[in-house]
Amino acid sequence: MASPVPALEVAGLTKTFTSRKKPPVHAVRNISFTVQQREVVGLLGPNGAGKTTTIKCILGLMLPSAGTVRVMGNDLGREYRQLVRSACAVLEGSRNIYWRMTPRENLDFFTGLYGIPLQRSRPYTDHLLRVFRLEEKRLSQVQELSSGMKQKVAVACALAPRTPLVFLDEPTVGLDVETSYELRETLKGLVKEEGRTIIVSSHDMAVIQDLCRRVIIIKQGSIIVDDQVENLLQLFRTRAYRFTLSNGHDVHLEGAVARQFPGASISRTADRTELEVILPGAEDLYRFVDLVRESGLFIAGINQKEPDLEEAFLQLVRKEAQA
Amino acid sequence: MKERLTVFRAVFTRELIMMQRYLVNSISGVVTLYIVFMLLFVGARAVTGGGLVMGATTMEGLVVGYLVWMFAMMGYQELAWGIINEAQVGTLEKLYLTPVGFRWVNGFAQLSQLAVNLTLLGLVFALILLTTGVALQVDIISVVPLLLITATSAYGLGFALAGLALIHKRIQAAFQIVQFIMVAFIAAPSDAWGRLLPLNLGHRLLTSAMVDGTRIWALPPGSLLTAVLVGAGYLGLGLLVMERCERQARDRGLLGHY
Ligand SMILES: Nc1ncnc2c1ncn2[C@@H]1O[C@H](COP(=O)(O)OP(=O)(O)OP(=O)(O)O)[C@@H](O)[C@H]1O
Ligand SMILES: [Mg+2]
Repeated sequence: MASPVPALEVAGLTKTFTSRKKPPVHAVRNISFTVQQREVVGLLGPNGAGKTTTIKCILGLMLPSAGTVRVMGNDLGREYRQLVRSACAVLEGSRNIYWRMTPRENLDFFTGLYGIPLQRSRPYTDHLLRVFRLEEKRLSQVQELSSGMKQKVAVACALAPRTPLVFLDEPTVGLDVETSYELRETLKGLVKEEGRTIIVSSHDMAVIQDLCRRVIIIKQGSIIVDDQVENLLQLFRTRAYRFTLSNGHDVHLEGAVARQFPGASISRTADRTELEVILPGAEDLYRFVDLVRESGLFIAGINQKEPDLEEAFLQLVRKEAQA
Repeated sequence: MKERLTVFRAVFTRELIMMQRYLVNSISGVVTLYIVFMLLFVGARAVTGGGLVMGATTMEGLVVGYLVWMFAMMGYQELAWGIINEAQVGTLEKLYLTPVGFRWVNGFAQLSQLAVNLTLLGLVFALILLTTGVALQVDIISVVPLLLITATSAYGLGFALAGLALIHKRIQAAFQIVQFIMVAFIAAPSDAWGRLLPLNLGHRLLTSAMVDGTRIWALPPGSLLTAVLVGAGYLGLGLLVMERCERQARDRGLLGHY
């Protein structure tokens, strides 16, 4: 059997914004990646890395300066209408939906926009209203809903046309911890149930770690990491340590650690100091131990810390900055 | 084809819903248009005893001129502000995500709006006729097509300005001014050049139909054809400008960055 067509193929994607007055902005530089069907991929990167630009170029909302994009085998330049049939999105930083309409009306409109008649879209949009717990509010205007609910409606509207590929650009931005969690759980459930291909960009590591098996980290327009989340965590598992130092505190030591081991976190209890550091190589470990010895404190315990994606991300982005 | 029909239904439903939600605005719009006309009417009668406002020499002429202006302005405003509003609140980009293409979505929206505008227009018009005692021939079969032919050039202006405003926000300031320039277009003499202005010749033909009672098929065919061509010309030009601006906007990433 032939292998199924990838959900998304991006090759050499480049976007440079030019304008007369300002110097050109190289927002995306020669990015290539492939996403297989049913994959859920996280798009990470600091502010201004080029995530949104990448997504909008793929969807044809911005014109790429160079490169090719295929969604379910449809070429961005030549088969745009087919491409749109296969992809939908929640876009960053905008409303995405009509605030003067109800969730129900928005869902009907945005499925209609994809050419799906009501009798075909309703069963699924009813289902979405249920799983996002919007049923009660389905007849209130969106402007009267809380920001969490508004965001849920926007996400539901992006899922409603049942396109095989869905982009979620910062779907949880501005939501409180609990609402973000709830939205995440709902998405997780849907992802599991439907097996769609989803690309999520977020600054919230919990979102990525929860939903995605694979992450692509972009920095200054280039991909610096493209790997399974599990592999990244594994990479850092062996390097993240928690030291408990007894015999009091030493301001001098704390300063030196903070300077020499970026990302280290320091906390104090009554007569102990807790240091969490990432020590990438053996020589870093020796250097660290030397520092402690000079300070006159004792190492009372060493634990290997369970790393999280946030730390891995920060380390990777910082390392790239030093290189 | 079936897909387009579904999209049309969705867009039409949206327009109806929005009209309901903004009912107060619609009503106050109608009332404002009516009051503005009455001021013109009373003023014209006091100052000149006859007319000579908006290039009209009679009260009947004034009503027809105002009718054309109202209709042109409604379509133009809806188009220009509609697109800019959607860019501002951030729904415009989502309208590009449709397999039939944004052009159709926008076209359907304007078409739906047209129906709404004709209704509102009819309302103001009826009010005006009732309260001023001006008598006009309202032969729907002649009047509505002539109105549509006349207003196509206003749509052209709407497309062009909306497109330009997508790229240069400041163009928005010109939106209002154009509404008044339209008065000048209507009032200008319909000589060899004047009739090539937007709205001008259409207005003349409409006057002929409504004041003199000429049926549309009895109008001079040359003039009718010219009016159609002028309308189509402005519309085409407007669409062209819109298209080019839209490409620019996509290149510079301005569709969602308003
Ligand atoms: N329309 C535009 N015109 C000019 N420059 C732009 C435009 N849109 C984005 N940029 C620039 O391109 C770069 C990438 O921006 P982009 O919005 O893609 O980043 P991002 O990764 O989505 O960031 P964030 O996490 O803040 O959303 C930035 O330097 C940004 O200033
Ligand atoms: Mg972004």
